[in-house]
This record gives sequence, structure tokens and C-alpha cells, in this order.
Amino acid sequence: MPQRSVVAVGASLLVASLALTGCGTRGGDDGGDTGGGSGDSKVAKIGVIAPLSGDLAALGKGIEHSVDLAIKQANESNAIPGWKLELAAEDDQATPDVGKNAATKLASDKEVVGVVGTLNSSVAQSVQPVLAAANITQVSPANTNPSLTQGADFATAPKRAYPTYFRTCTTDSIQGPFAARYLFEKAGIKEVATVHDKKTYGQGLVDAFTKEYTKLGGKVVSAQTINPDDDKYDAVISKIKPSNPKAVYYGGEFPQAGPFSQQMKAAGLNVPLMGGDGIFSGEYVKLAGSTATGDLATSVGAPTDQLESAKSFVSAYDAAKYSEPYEAYGAYAYDAANAIINALKTSLKDADSAEAARQATVQAMSSVSFDGVTGKVAFDEYGDTTSRVLTVYQVKDGAWAPVNTEEFK
Amino acid sequence: MSTNTALPDVLDDSDVSRRDRLREQHGAKAPLLALAGGVLLLVSGLLSWSYDDRILGDISIRFYPAGIQIYAMVLGLVAVVLGVLLRRRPGWLNPGRGLAAVGWGSLVFVVVALVTIARQAGGSININEGGWVALVGALLVFAAGFVAQRFELNVRTWPRLPGWAEILVIVVLMAVLLFTTAYTLGLDDSWTFVCLLVTLLSVAIALVGSGFGEYVGFVGGNNRRVLLLAAFLVAFLFPFTQDGSDANMSIATQILIFAATALGLNIVVGLAGLLDLGYIAFLGTGAYVGAMLSQSTFATIGWKPPFLVVMLCGMAVASTFGLIIGSPTLRVSGDYLAIVTLGFGEIFRLAMFNLDGTNGPDLTNGPNGIPAIPDLNFFGWDFGKVHTVAGIPLGRFSNYYFLLLLLIAFVILVFSRLNDSRIGRGWVAIREDERAAEAMGVNVFGLKLLAFAIGAALAGLAGTIKAHQDTSVTPDQYIFLESAFLLAAVVLGGMGTVAGVLVGATILKLLPEKLRDAADYRLLLFGLLLVIMMRFRPEGLVASKRRQLEFHEDDEELVQLAQTEHLEEAK
Amino acid sequence: MELAQQLVNGLTLGSLYALIAVGYTVVYGIIQLINFAHGEIFMVGAFGALSTALLFFRSYVDEGQVLPFWALPVLILGAVAASVAIAVLMERIAYRPLRNAPRLAPLITAIGISVFLQEAVRLLYGKIPGFPDAKQKVPFPKIAVVSGDAWTPFGLTIQRSTIFTVGALVICAAGLFYFVSRTKTGRAMQAVSQDPDTARLMGINVDRIIVVAFVIGATLAAIAGIAQGLQVTNVNFKMGFLAGLKAFTAAVLGGIGNVWGAVLGGLTLGIVEALAIGFIPGTFGGSSWKDVWAFAILILVLVFRPQGLLGAKVVDRA
Repeated sequence: MPQRSVVAVGASLLVASLALTGCGTRGGDDGGDTGGGSGDSKVAKIGVIAPLSGDLAALGKGIEHSVDLAIKQANESNAIPGWKLELAAEDDQATPDVGKNAATKLASDKEVVGVVGTLNSSVAQSVQPVLAAANITQVSPANTNPSLTQGADFATAPKRAYPTYFRTCTTDSIQGPFAARYLFEKAGIKEVATVHDKKTYGQGLVDAFTKEYTKLGGKVVSAQTINPDDDKYDAVISKIKPSNPKAVYYGGEFPQAGPFSQQMKAAGLNVPLMGGDGIFSGEYVKLAGSTATGDLATSVGAPTDQLESAKSFVSAYDAAKYSEPYEAYGAYAYDAANAIINALKTSLKDADSAEAARQATVQAMSSVSFDGVTGKVAFDEYGDTTSRVLTVYQVKDGAWAPVNTEEFK
Repeated sequence: MSTNTALPDVLDDSDVSRRDRLREQHGAKAPLLALAGGVLLLVSGLLSWSYDDRILGDISIRFYPAGIQIYAMVLGLVAVVLGVLLRRRPGWLNPGRGLAAVGWGSLVFVVVALVTIARQAGGSININEGGWVALVGALLVFAAGFVAQRFELNVRTWPRLPGWAEILVIVVLMAVLLFTTAYTLGLDDSWTFVCLLVTLLSVAIALVGSGFGEYVGFVGGNNRRVLLLAAFLVAFLFPFTQDGSDANMSIATQILIFAATALGLNIVVGLAGLLDLGYIAFLGTGAYVGAMLSQSTFATIGWKPPFLVVMLCGMAVASTFGLIIGSPTLRVSGDYLAIVTLGFGEIFRLAMFNLDGTNGPDLTNGPNGIPAIPDLNFFGWDFGKVHTVAGIPLGRFSNYYFLLLLLIAFVILVFSRLNDSRIGRGWVAIREDERAAEAMGVNVFGLKLLAFAIGAALAGLAGTIKAHQDTSVTPDQYIFLESAFLLAAVVLGGMGTVAGVLVGATILKLLPEKLRDAADYRLLLFGLLLVIMMRFRPEGLVASKRRQLEFHEDDEELVQLAQTEHLEEAK
Repeated sequence: MELAQQLVNGLTLGSLYALIAVGYTVVYGIIQLINFAHGEIFMVGAFGALSTALLFFRSYVDEGQVLPFWALPVLILGAVAASVAIAVLMERIAYRPLRNAPRLAPLITAIGISVFLQEAVRLLYGKIPGFPDAKQKVPFPKIAVVSGDAWTPFGLTIQRSTIFTVGALVICAAGLFYFVSRTKTGRAMQAVSQDPDTARLMGINVDRIIVVAFVIGATLAAIAGIAQGLQVTNVNFKMGFLAGLKAFTAAVLGGIGNVWGAVLGGLTLGIVEALAIGFIPGTFGGSSWKDVWAFAILILVLVFRPQGLLGAKVVDRA
């Protein structure tokens, strides 16, 4: 009878497997709660919202790892007695919608007290209100749009937009003018063309640059925009070339700036291209190729090999063996995480739970002040960094080399 | 035991393929196989699956099923029930087909679970006896499903229950739905989520395949109002299951906005048969209107009317755009229309990207968009604040969720009223054969324009709410890929049906959020899914019978079913 | 002077569009399918060339040196091989089973393939040992003679890659002309496009002809991929989408189904775009609006002259 054999097989298998269990189980079920936090130290989480996948993943991963490093160091040195810090990283895919979901997820996690992020100003706009509603401190390592801290009318009537928002990088309104002064005063270039990608970052940078540059007496001979989806810029370059600029100031990021520099020089426009920290990346040099030599970029803080704190960050990062480099914003992210940790030192001290400490953490942020990787870390009444040290870098032998570090006044 | 080895007479004598012969010979063993497999699966739920208690939730404990252990038991239970039914062979059920689905489902489920355990714990040595028992059970159920005989459904023999009992069936179903949804969304672990999904999917297919689906549809058809009411009640109750957490509500609001837009698209594509590849532009139009007329300090237009007026404006502007985009339909159709709409969609995005003052007038702030849009406030009910109802805190997204629920109710109402009206039949006529429709006196051009205008208005309406819910509107939310997603929701779910689009929208928005581990691969899988769907089930998951027929003309059983359904409707 | 310069730019752009557009038009002419994923074939071609360079000229690439000129044909072969392989697979696996399905099905399949191929390159290219991560732009190697300093007669700037692109178009067009009008397979193609059923009765293997159409399109797209790589010196996974869309516009502009229409349409579109950047005054000019003008042309052509400039086929597809 076939049926019977099936039953027999099934039953014997069952018996066999039960028997196997009898021989091969682990030693005793010692309760299921070993996975949870061990009794004495409470857990507080620092979130990260950054693009961990997609185009800008290189930058986002750098941010995530740097925050992770800061948290690990704080736990090792027992910076906040009685508390253990944890990382909660969420991907925003560089899109506002996804960023908002990530923020909502972090906000509903009762252990989250602070968030480092975001990379993109456009994402920040939709993350800010969610975190502000939950009283969670947000420190961005990379948003440069002035309106994020000072409101829509930042130029005329600055007004703090969200009390929970801070940033460790300088805004466009400092980086642009700094570049303008360098080009006009140090490099002696009196005629430039400007190009930007119309995005929050690039346009803001070029606007601030143009204002300062014309004030100094320089002349913007051609102002163009590109479409960031494009690969070819020869039509734009053809428009710039007849006006004979001595340099091109580019507002935007390296994925477009690199090829732009390359194509500009191939078309016979052999002048340096200058940009903000968005092009200060090793990828820029790769994409722009050998003709990139002489191109310039500004970046916040002193060069990492000149500051003691920066050197130790770099060596600690290397020692941790992360799979991706810290990239352009790793140092700012590390400082941002440490700013939150410093605030937590006061706010978590007598807090019962992480959630109860959220409000106190926001308040403690205003008195944070320490020497970070990018220089002095402290925040003004809008939540902007007070550090105004910037450095100009230039491409030499296929890598960025510092040429001038100065405090912007 | 030899009594049921008698040859069933249901086999079609014309083409007895190898598989049919197999069924003929061994079909009688199927009930027993199913019973044995089901019992094994049930038992496996009580056993330990993994040595390591950190994988897939804690599944290392015996006699206290949790997580995937429960899923295994659910699968086992379904298999046992179907096995029993297969043996008794009621005329109105086809348990064989259901068993096949459960068989496939359990096999995939167990394999996924075991592979995950083995991968995460470092080797199959870490799989405990429960996993192996489940594997054997799944194999048995699979075998049962493979050899089980199929019966023809006799729709006429459906038992009629008294009215209250049918309503009870609906209520129980809806309660199960609510519980399952809340539970599913509560899961955080990607792989547990996958396992649950496989379980739910196979159980659902099993129920539908074995005829329960038809029966529920039949009962639902008898009590249409009750069904709708119950569905909305469940949706309304959903935020109360979330215990004040906003994480899932945020996703739910996005699903609703997406679904409302997809339903609008369904009018254009599903009913009128006009392929639109730039539909996201209408949602964008609504969102931009909502943003520009909001209280945001970045808004470029000084006029700040109350939200009700904004909603009307959004609808009006969007349907105007709809008319403009629809106007080429006078001259182009088919693929060319698709490309024209794609062009319009791109023009919309580029225009929003450019209108920042340097290139054209300052309307949209260019790529930076319009941020800082304040929350809605209806007569003192601030959408941004947490309100406590019946002791349960309802956060910001819950507030928007309720508003969006009203929106989607409105959209469904418009959709179904239109579908049942003269206009709807006109659209279907155009979709099936434009020339014939014209010859019969249908105003083809007018109706096509109307489809665009109404669809766009619905999307525009959703957009105005989206602007406030998102707090910022930027052009990069309205790229071509989003239009493709919308179309995919319609196609995946089933063109021309409401339930299908809701299912499609939920799948497309929910999966990427829950599968964040695989977030990087979500587009890859999306592309693959489109190709596979078009190859194997082009009519969508929840297809109307008529639509299904268009794709499978030679399926005679389907023809019969469609005819029966048609007759039922006519009664 | 600026006019001449923008004309040169337009010609470069247009030649690229034309090379890709031929693929749309050949396939459409035979099975009335808008192969939406054709832009991705172009992208795969570019990556095929890059892979060939990495496999056979690794030392040059690593040291940032210029590849010798004889590497060019090798790269072209690699690019064509990659493109053709993907195109044939695509036809066999995805399109052929849908040949008698309602019209919506192949179009959605095409969108699916397009997304799939982009993502596959983005995610998986870097996973092949020795290949760079393709999630961002990847630098494309330079080749002696065809890349290097621009040629500047009369103050114009003519890139060497421009000459390569235009030259490639001329050679490909001539080759295609010979193939379509003089060879047996070419004439069979014409027959199938006019009446597939009768062609089948005449003993023509229609399935084979369809594959040939895909192969022709893929070959030209692969060459366009190299041209693009040389022009912009980098390649990336999403380069195919916009280029594909523009090329499709070009194909429609010239009259879809007509090979010469595709070439003419491509050149026209390229020149119109370049001139729009240079010469539309006021705030609606410049590079930000050029795509809008391109799409506007597409819509106008489709609405008012759906048969395109050369009007080979009267299109009435419901």
C-alpha cells in the first residue's frame, strides 16, 4: 500500500528528527532575555540619516562610519557614565520622501536622542520638521543652505527656523565670499565666469561668490547654468569661451564638476576651475583627469594634517578598517556626533530615559564647545557653526594639496 | 483505504498529459499526503528551529511558537483543512488547486527560513529539528498539491447562509485583515517579513484558487454595502493599533496618496485604455499648487486662501493640465500617445526645475522647491499635533491618514460611479474598439478628454494634501520613474479594478520600506517583476474576469466563469 | 562665429542621436515595438568598451596613459559584443513571448528591462573582480588619435571625438544602406516590414529577421556608446535613459520605420538643441530649457506630422 509507506516514512522521519533533537540540543534554555540590554547601563541612540545607497552613497557611508567611530570611542572612554550609546543609521537615498520616512522611524524610537544628517539640503527640509516635532537634536555635517537655520529671508531678516537644528559646516554665505577673496586678492584674477547646477547648494554658492566678487571690483564675464542630468557641456562651454575668463567658479558637486573641468580644458579653455567643498573629493580628480592640475576648491576647517585632533581622527578611522573612506564630510560628521555626545553628557546625567532627555539635549547644544577635527566646534544663536576657518586646496600631482588656510572675517 | 482510489471522472479525456496521468494514478494519495505534511508543519511550529536565538526573531524555544514558527503552523493548518476537504470533495470547492499553492508556498517559506538561518548563523548545523521537520512537511504538502486532482467548480451549489451569517463572515475576514496588517507592519526584520509574505501570499492564493475567494466574492456581492463599510471601518481603526507610533503611519499615508493617484491613472489607462507615462505630473501640479498657495514663507504667490479653496484650485489646475495633455488624443493614440504623455511629464518636471527667476519667472524656487509648508489646521484641529483619542495617542501622520482616508473614499466613489455609468461604458467601448464605438455614437474625443480631466483632478487633489503632509515640494519627486511606478501599480494590481490598484499600490510602496536590507536592490527587483508579470500574468493580481479573458482567450474554464459572473451580475 | 561653433556642437550631438535612433527605427519598422530599453543597449555598449579596455589594456588604464590607436577596433568589438549579446537575450527572453500580446504588455516589459539593466550595471558591475564601482560616473580611457587636443580651424573648436562620431555615423549609414538594399537578408528585412505574413509565406524566417534587426540596432548603439565615452570621458549607468529618449524623439522626428529618417531626425534634433542653447534669448534660453524644447518638438511632430519628416509610414496604431 503506497499510502501506508508514505505515512511510515513521515512518521519515521518525525521520530528520527525528534530523536536527533534529544541528542543534539544546546545546553539548557537559560531564558530568552540575553539579547536585551544588560541591567545597569541604559541605552541612548544617535541616529544617522544619509544616502547609504545610490549616487551619493560614498559620502553617506563616510558619514555613517565617522559617527560610528565617535560613538565607539565614547563608549570605550565611558564618556557618559551609566549609559551606552548606539548607532541607528537610516538610508535617505538622497530623496526627501525617503528621508522623511527615515526621520519618522527614528523619531518613534524612544531611545533616539540625536541625529547626524542629512547630506542634502533638500532632504533636510523634509527631515527638520519631523525631528523638531519630537524634540530630537539634529546636527548636519553637510547642509550649506543658509535658509535651513536662518529662515526663508536669511539675507534680510534672519529668524531661526527650527530650534533643534544645528550644523558643523559653514554655509554658502561664507564659503562663496572666501573663494571670491582668494581669487581676487591672492590669485589676482579679475575676470571669472560662473557656472552652477541650479541646486540649493550650487546656486547659493555662486550667488554668494558673485556678490562678494563684484563688491571687490572683479567682473563676472559670463554666468551659465548646467543641467545636472547632462553628461555633455560643450554648448555651455562654447558660450563661456568667447568671453575669455581667467577662471571659472563652479557651484555644484564633483559628479558634474569633474567632467566639466575635463571638457572645458579639452575645448581649449585652459583656465582653473574653482568650486566649494562639493568638489573637494578624490573622485573629482579621477573624473577630471590629468588636466585637472591647478583646479581649486575651498573646504571648511584647517587641513587634516595640520591639526592634532584631525590627525588622531584620521589614524583612528584607518585603524577601525571601515570599508569606505571618510570622504568630504566624515570629519564634520565626527564633530557633529561628538557635539551631540558632549550635550548628552549634561542632559543624560540625571535623566530617567533617553526620551526624557531629548529636550534637555537640545538646550545643552547651545553651550557645547570643544576642539574638533575641523577646528573649534560651537554653535551660534541660529544653530550655525561659529568656526570660520577655511582652506583653499589645489590639485597637484593628481591629489588635493592645501595652499592657504585662513579665518574668514 | 482503497475506496477512494476509484478513477475520478473530472479529467478531460481529450488531452491527458503526463501530469494528468500522474494525477490520475496518484491523486488519491493527495489527501493523506496533505494531512501528513500539514501535521508535520503544525508539529514543527512547536519545535525549535534554530540554535541561535537572534535569528528571525527568537525561534529557538520549544512548545512556545513565535514568529516563523507560527507561520509554519498556519500553513500546516491550511494544508490539513484542504486535505480533509479534498477527501470529502464538496462540489463548490477545488482544494487541489489550493493545495498546490500551499505546497509551493510552504516549500519556498521553509527553504527561505532555513537558508537564512544557515547563512546568518554560519552553517546548516545551526538548524534545529523544527526546521527539518518543517522541510519534510513542506515537501509532503508540495507533493500532495502536485498530484491532487482538480475539480470543476459548480458555482450554483454555493451554500447560502442566512444574512447575518454572511455579514459575520465579512466581519471576521475584515478583523483578520486588520490584525494581519498591523502585525505585518510591526515586523522589523527583513527576512521574517519575507517569510510572512510568502505565507500570506500562498494562503491567499490557496484560498482563492480553491474557490473560497469566489465564495467570498459571492458573499461580498450579496452584501456590497456591508463589505465597503467594513473595509473602511478596518482602515479607520488601523491607526489605533499602532500605539502612538508614527513610523508605519508615515508609510500608510504615502500608500494612500500613491493609491489615490494610481486610481486616477486607472481611469485613464484601465477604463479608457489611454496609456499615460507622465501621470506623476498631475500629482506634482496639485502639490505645487498646494505649496504655492500655502502659508509657507517660501511660497511665491501672495494669495493664501483656506485649504478647501486650495484643494479646489489644485483640482482645477490639474484638470486643466489634463485637458492640455489629453488634447493630442484627438490625433494620436497607442504608443505615440504614451510618448506624448511622457514628453509632457518631462516638460513638467523641467519647467518646475527651471522656474526660479533666473530661467523664467520665479514660481517654484527651481530645484530647491518650496519647503517649510505648515501643517493643516481644520477648525482648530492641528494636524501637526498629537491628539489622544480613547487613550491612544494619534500622531501627525495619523491625522493625515484620516484625511487621506476620506480622500480615497471619495476617489473610489468617483471611480466606481463612473465605471457603472454610461460614461464608463463609453470608455470601455473606446478601449475595446475605438472605431466601433464611434460608429455607435460614442463621443470618442469628448470622453477621452473627460478621462484625462477627471483622472488629473483626482491626482491634483491628492497632491494638495501631499504638499502639506510632506512639508516640502521639490521637482525631483516627480521624475519619470515615479510615473512608471504608478503605471506598475495599476498593471500589477489589475487594470480597471479598485481592489487591484489598492493592492498594487500597497505592494509597491510597502515592500521597499520593509525590505530596507535590500533597499539597494529594490529597483532591480522592480524591473524584473514588471518583466515577469507581463510574461506570466499580464492581467494583474486582482483582475476582472473580462480583462483576464483578453489575455487568455483560449482558456475555456475562464470563459465559463466569466459568463457565470456576467449572468450573476445581470440578475 | 558662435553660430558655426554651435552648429558643430549640434552636429556632434546629432550624430550620436542618429546612431542610437537607427536602433529604434529598425525594430519598430519590423515589429512595431517601441523598444524602450534601447537606450540601455547604448549604455551597455559603453560599459562593454570600458570592460574591454580594463581587460586588455589594464596597464595603460591604471597609469592613466592614453591607449594606442589600435586599441580602438578592439574596444569597438568589445562594445558591439556586449550590446548585441544583451539585445539578443532581451529579444529572446522578454519580447518574443509577447509578440501576440496586447500592445501594453511589451511596452511595460520594455520599461521593466530598462530599469533592470540600469540597476544591474549599477549594482553588479563593481562586483566583478578588477572592475570599478559603477554607482557613480566611471572615467573612460583615452585613445590616441581620437582623443586629445581639439582641432581649431578658423577659431572654431572641433574635438577629435566629434570627428570620430561623425565619421562613425557616415560609415555606419553607408554600411547599412549596402546591407538593406543589396544583401539578401536586408531585402528580407524590407519584405518583413512591409508584410510579415506574406514574407513568411515566401519562406523568410521572420524570427531570424527580427533578431537581425535587434543586432543592427545594438551594433550602432554600441558604437554610439564609445563615441559618448570619448566625448565626455566618463560613462555611467543612467546615461542611456535621456539619450534613448532623445534618440527616440529623433527617430519619430525623421519618420519612424525609416532608416534615413532616423539619421536626418537625429541631426536635426541635435542642431536644434545646440541652437536653442545658443540663440533663444531671454530667460527661456540656455541649457536649462533645451530638453524642454526637444520634448516640445517631439510632441508637435507626433501631433501634427506623426509620419515624421520623411513620412515613410503612415502610422495608425491603436
